[in-house]
Amino acid sequence: MTQNIIENLVNQLTKLPGIGRKTAQRLAFFILALPANDAKEIAAAIVDVKDNARFCSNCFNITDADTCSICSDSSRDRNKICVVEEPSNVLAIERTGIFKGTYHVLLGALSPLDGITPDKLKINALLIRIKDNPIEEVILATNPNTKGEMTAKYITEILKPLNIKTSRIAYGLPIGSDIEFADEVTLSKALEGRRDL
Amino acid sequence: MLNRTEGIVLKSSIFGEADLIVTYLTKDFGLLRVFVKSPRKTKSRFGSSIEPLTYAKISFLGKEQANLPRLTQSDIIKPFHKLREDYSGMLNIMELLEMNLHFLIDREPHPSIFRLLLTALSKLESDINNGLYYLYYKIKFLEISGYSPRLEICGRCGGLTEGRRHHNFYVSHGSIICHECIGGDDRAVKVTESALKFYKSIFNWKYSTIDRIKAPAHMLAEIQNVINSHISFISSGSKSFDKRLFLSSR
Repeated sequence: MTQNIIENLVNQLTKLPGIGRKTAQRLAFFILALPANDAKEIAAAIVDVKDNARFCSNCFNITDADTCSICSDSSRDRNKICVVEEPSNVLAIERTGIFKGTYHVLLGALSPLDGITPDKLKINALLIRIKDNPIEEVILATNPNTKGEMTAKYITEILKPLNIKTSRIAYGLPIGSDIEFADEVTLSKALEGRRDL
Repeated sequence: MLNRTEGIVLKSSIFGEADLIVTYLTKDFGLLRVFVKSPRKTKSRFGSSIEPLTYAKISFLGKEQANLPRLTQSDIIKPFHKLREDYSGMLNIMELLEMNLHFLIDREPHPSIFRLLLTALSKLESDINNGLYYLYYKIKFLEISGYSPRLEICGRCGGLTEGRRHHNFYVSHGSIICHECIGGDDRAVKVTESALKFYKSIFNWKYSTIDRIKAPAHMLAEIQNVINSHISFISSGSKSFDKRLFLSSR
């Protein structure tokens, strides 16, 4: 009987990304050894996020209220919008602690070969947001790949008539890496984007 | 078994957390899908070498008939990154990539189609807005893959279609139908005799010849209309990318 309970937990954990059977087994026995309260808190957090998570009505970040904590924070600069592809990108940029503006999550990137057209993303919502608010700058922080680049180019085109400053995050080499191992496209982009010291 | 070849990236799809499935048109294996471990992480050794349009020397590991071999190495030969930076040009190129994805069968070598795509990308790098480059690719691709429309003779009676100023290309027949054989209410695309002559001469040209050709815009549009209608029909509406739909989907 005990074996079945553990087996069930292992099977459930293997559904998580990057978790194979061995890791799942390790995690299962770790959970087994946890104090009951800690284990219940993990379980409750999973149930809570599934029951209450929704998209922010303003920026489409994940939240448990109508608007997310960033949109409802009065200290944030509402004149700047950083456009990202996924809610996880918001967390990554927030970790830098540099950006003090607000976000807009597109919930994907344009991908013509996969049938992801502009109407399937939150691009229209972005346009409405820009028209309804005094926005000074839109920072396009979509991924530095073909899909992200196409999305950034598309948004730049549709924002042109609105005469709003549009910028794109810089390309470059990851800190801690070595120039010797960088590919020619990344390196040429880094050279193009060089700045005066 | 470790295999080596050269390939052009047609498409990449997210798989799991940081992995990708990349589809190549390769010189020796035709259409090839490979699994790439963690290329989305910033420190991945693959860098930009698996971005669409990249022409690279690749190595992959897997049994002879493995459905999804694993990419072990990718060295860029030509990145074609300037093409990726042109939004409207890229939409046109997507149509060419889509043809490969739609009409070619996995692991069936097509060295001539591989060379055709490589030459097309090199030509487009010098002039991405040259409509004749795209048209030439589509016509040649259909010819090599055996999907060419029949524009030289009537699809019903086999009679020659020359000698009239206008012809009707019947999409459902994939051919011109002469005036004597016309019947039914199938959708027809009008095409002039001069456009037909131009289409026939394209078969004898190479990409290097096209640089010297200046085709009137209306003639180019007529042939494009015939070819695009034909491609739409033979792909039975199952193509995932339609430029017109994409542009109208704001």
